[in-house]
Amino acid sequence: MATNAEIEQQIAGNEYKAGFISDIESETLAAGLTEDTVRFISAKKGEPEWMTEWRLKAFRQWLEMETPEWAHVNFPKIDYQEISYYSAPKSMEDGPQSLDEVDPELLAVYDKLGIPLHEQMALAGIAVDAVFDSVSVATTFRDKLEEAGVIFMPISEAVHKHPELIKKYIGSVVPVRDNYFAALNCAVFSDGSFVYIPKGVRCPMELSTYFRINEAKTGQFERTLIIADEGSHVSYLEGCTAPMRDENQLHAAVVELVALDDAEIKYSTVQNWYPGDKEGKGGIYNFVTKRAIAHTNAKVSWTQVETGSAVTWKYPSCILKGDNSIGEFYSVALTNNFQQADTGTKMIHLGKNTKSTIISKGISAGKSSNAYRGLVRMNPGAEGARNYTQCDSLLLGDKCAAHTFPYIESKHPTAVIEHEATTSTVSDDQLFLCQQRGIDTEKAVSMIVNGFCKEVFKELPMEFAVEAGKLLEISLEGSVG
Amino acid sequence: MTAEFVTQHLALAQHRSPLSWLSEFNERGQARFADAVIPNRKTEAWKYTSLASLTQGDFAHAAPSVDASTVTLPNIAGIDALRLVVINGELNIEASDAKALELIVHFADATQEQQDQINALLGTIQGEGGHLFAQLNDANINAGLFLNIPRNQRLKQPIHICYLTTPNSEKTGFTVNTRLLVNLETSAEATVIEHYIGDEEQNSFTNAVSEFRVGDNAKLIHYRLQLMTEGALHIGNAHIDLQRDANYEGFHLGLGTKLTRNDIVVNHNVGGSHSEMAGVYVPKNKQLIDFHTCIEHKAAHCTSNEVFRGIMNDQSKAVFNGRIQIHRDAQKTLAELSNKNLLLTNTAEINTKPELEIYADDVKCAHGATVAQLEEKAMFYLQSRGISKADAKVMLSFGFINELIDNLPHEAIGDWLRPILAHRFGRSSDLDDQLAQGN
Amino acid sequence: MIEIKNLQAKVEDKDILKGLNLNIGPGEVHAIMGPNGAGKSTLGNVLAGRPNYEVTGGSATLNGKNILDLDPEERAREGLFLAFQYPVEIPGVSNLEFLKASVDSVREQQGKKALDSVQFLKLAREKCKAVNLDASFLKRGVNEGFSGGEKKRNELMQMMMLEPTLCILDETDSGLDIDALQVVAEGVNAMRDENRSFIVVTHYQRLLDYIVPDFVHVLANGKIVKSGGKELALELEEKGYGWLENENGAA
Repeated sequence: MATNAEIEQQIAGNEYKAGFISDIESETLAAGLTEDTVRFISAKKGEPEWMTEWRLKAFRQWLEMETPEWAHVNFPKIDYQEISYYSAPKSMEDGPQSLDEVDPELLAVYDKLGIPLHEQMALAGIAVDAVFDSVSVATTFRDKLEEAGVIFMPISEAVHKHPELIKKYIGSVVPVRDNYFAALNCAVFSDGSFVYIPKGVRCPMELSTYFRINEAKTGQFERTLIIADEGSHVSYLEGCTAPMRDENQLHAAVVELVALDDAEIKYSTVQNWYPGDKEGKGGIYNFVTKRAIAHTNAKVSWTQVETGSAVTWKYPSCILKGDNSIGEFYSVALTNNFQQADTGTKMIHLGKNTKSTIISKGISAGKSSNAYRGLVRMNPGAEGARNYTQCDSLLLGDKCAAHTFPYIESKHPTAVIEHEATTSTVSDDQLFLCQQRGIDTEKAVSMIVNGFCKEVFKELPMEFAVEAGKLLEISLEGSVG
Repeated sequence: MTAEFVTQHLALAQHRSPLSWLSEFNERGQARFADAVIPNRKTEAWKYTSLASLTQGDFAHAAPSVDASTVTLPNIAGIDALRLVVINGELNIEASDAKALELIVHFADATQEQQDQINALLGTIQGEGGHLFAQLNDANINAGLFLNIPRNQRLKQPIHICYLTTPNSEKTGFTVNTRLLVNLETSAEATVIEHYIGDEEQNSFTNAVSEFRVGDNAKLIHYRLQLMTEGALHIGNAHIDLQRDANYEGFHLGLGTKLTRNDIVVNHNVGGSHSEMAGVYVPKNKQLIDFHTCIEHKAAHCTSNEVFRGIMNDQSKAVFNGRIQIHRDAQKTLAELSNKNLLLTNTAEINTKPELEIYADDVKCAHGATVAQLEEKAMFYLQSRGISKADAKVMLSFGFINELIDNLPHEAIGDWLRPILAHRFGRSSDLDDQLAQGN
Repeated sequence: MIEIKNLQAKVEDKDILKGLNLNIGPGEVHAIMGPNGAGKSTLGNVLAGRPNYEVTGGSATLNGKNILDLDPEERAREGLFLAFQYPVEIPGVSNLEFLKASVDSVREQQGKKALDSVQFLKLAREKCKAVNLDASFLKRGVNEGFSGGEKKRNELMQMMMLEPTLCILDETDSGLDIDALQVVAEGVNAMRDENRSFIVVTHYQRLLDYIVPDFVHVLANGKIVKSGGKELALELEEKGYGWLENENGAA
């Protein structure tokens, strides 16, 4: 007889699928963080003086800051001197110029993850800028993108090739001092993606990055900057996975999106960092700052499916600066075992008739804790602005926790804000109805959970939607192997 | 600045009750208050509420022994209530109904048996983790009031406790601490109206703490009405403990003052209890009204329903923080919270945060919050019937609040409050006034 | 078809079924009637394997197979269908998705060919029409926001899709007006054939005017206390259950 208790057992039995360790020789910087570390990283990348200075300034500011403590998560104090801040696969030393030059073992890693750069992505028409630990490995489709005038390259390369764009936009959406982890990222960021879509251009394909953390004890500090010039359009996909490690690893990324007038950016994430084992040992600390600025008539849409990481601290946000700009946030966050997530969004309405939509679905299982934290702010200029927020929680088992902390601030009388939240569970009655119709419990739970997340999944690009559904099933059903 | 506030109020709290147990209680409160950290904008619970007007103020003890015949005492027409009058924190015997004085006992006049009862309950309902103003109140209790309704007794007439503050002739700043302790024994029923009012413009700081224990199967109807003048400061704490199958119906109103901060905590301690709470806040000019409510579900099969509405006018500001916490053992809980707000001007502000914290799986919870303007369709409908836009706005704003007033358990209280609230929106209706007078 | 021997069951430590015997042959329609609390709904729930309904003795064999050890979904795949008295809502899961998963699993077990999506949709729309449900219901969440009558018709529609061999209707007529009752009865009658059996649990004799049973049983105090033909239902309608309990008590 399948009951909720049985589902819990199945959940408990689940193990991490992407947890294999690649045996690739890496060049890793000894642990520790000083101004010299920052200089080393900058020198390693042959950065110009202004970039080094920018990093150093950030580092000095970071030293004065404190770890934020308001989130509903608990983790031991991080010793920033115990972390290595640079790790590059050795075979990359000379920098491969094409896929053929890429270490085959590295490519095999992506194959295992189900993202073979070589063929499948080509068939799918996706350009991938893969970040393996800290250095961008290979960039495909660059030619085709160049034709359209789209710039898609590692940010380290963009520092050299497009310094004017980097200087203008880096730190413009997430200021250096924004928060502790963002400042740290500014000082030691290793690599990441840079995208520029010229005026009026519709990016001819989905752009994608797959992040992994491979080297033990390396923090990954990638940095992404996407600029959509006036009237342009781009859809960007980010996937994250990390191998199993006993110790916790730190991941503090910064993503900045700039949508100029009439531009549209769609940013989708499937985050499957290693969540730690069933006893809560190991796993990634995922402290990410993602923010977008939307100018007049621009639209920014964040979609995320978060199933991994031991601790998640992440609030992809939109500053709706221009009149009529639109911000969207669609999120599924699943926590199991001892995972903790404190995630949500901020919608800052500055312009007239700005609109935002927040759909957040939290699923808690095992002994995990899942919190939605969101801010909707209508500033005095937000005439006629609107927000709709719906955040639902699903609890599986009686040892998990779900929280909702929505902050709603309004300073304009014509701004309309609506917030709704519900909490529910998969009841024994629902499961019995399914069973009576011949559907086993596992399938029934998966149907109900997928139904719960439907509104978010439909926002994902097709390939990702399939992957997201699978991820949830893996995370919940324990149908491993 | 803030250290000065603690020093000043500690000095005011030096006086001790002659009752040894109460004096000890005072001392414990004083010790905690001395260690208290004054919250600032980084303190989550005070993020939107600045205490500057309080910590920068200069307060002394209120003028004692005011002659009741020199002040106007409010009456709730149409309701047969037992009135108890407290002026500047002192129980006023002349102005109070004799029957009310029989029911409610001043701590200092309590019999030994009552003292034991008070001593056993006092401070246990709000717990020692309360915020610094609760501690300040603990340090200051000397004129506490105690109401006990024995088992199976139903008090038909509502108790109307009228807390009046009145300035001295120099109009200098003064502070008043009030304390109420109510115990409803098994299957007892009572209505308690706490009514805070000032007779003229004043620079007063009221720190009001009330504790209610609602016993098994007992029922409490509770009104807490803050109708102070606009220059006053009001910090309120109301803590309600519900035992098995207990029932609580509460209505909380925030109308006057420069700064109001109200913390209301309802504890569903034992299974089967039910709470139904409504609230209204209508700040104008530069007023700030802050309601922090917390419904603690600690046991299974309890239900709670909370509805708060606010209208912010002029440059006023309101804060609403509605928290529902479902503890691990509180299975089969049904909890709902709704908070709706209207901003009438470009300079008014609302900060609302409906929070859910859930640790049990078989529960059904929902909360909703909205900030909006008056519905266009409704405006148009009224205008199409020949009503001016300005009048339509007043009618609809009032209607938004009136929905809650209409649902009050005592119709007469609604009739009495309606014109007070209506005047607030520039609506004066002879119809309301007539009704308020019980015609 | 189904053979129930000395079935005993309890719910939350309370004995409900206390030695129930019932044999149902292929193609037969058996009505179960009885006073409130007699164990009528328990019978259906126990046969379908509802959690918390604990079998404490006896057996139930469906087509020679003891079903009491099977999981609910296995019983369903063996051809047992329970039309619920209170069908539960499953928000977010569409009727179509639910039905497809259900039909696929049952057909697979029974060695029938899987329906492709086109066939499936066609069939589903057909059956909707048969029970007078708009096809748009298929896209809605399972029973989500359905009226009482719609929920009951949805149960019947699922029964038609699954083509079970033993159909248990648990107070499917309760709360239905006469028009809705006729729709349900027509649906059931259309499904009657020599290989399919029905247990019709009802509180009201009225249903049996439309679904004419081969046998009527009276369930009281956890046992079948009287059995007879369709005329027994009329007698019960007239006299109530009191006389039976007395008769039984005397025996």
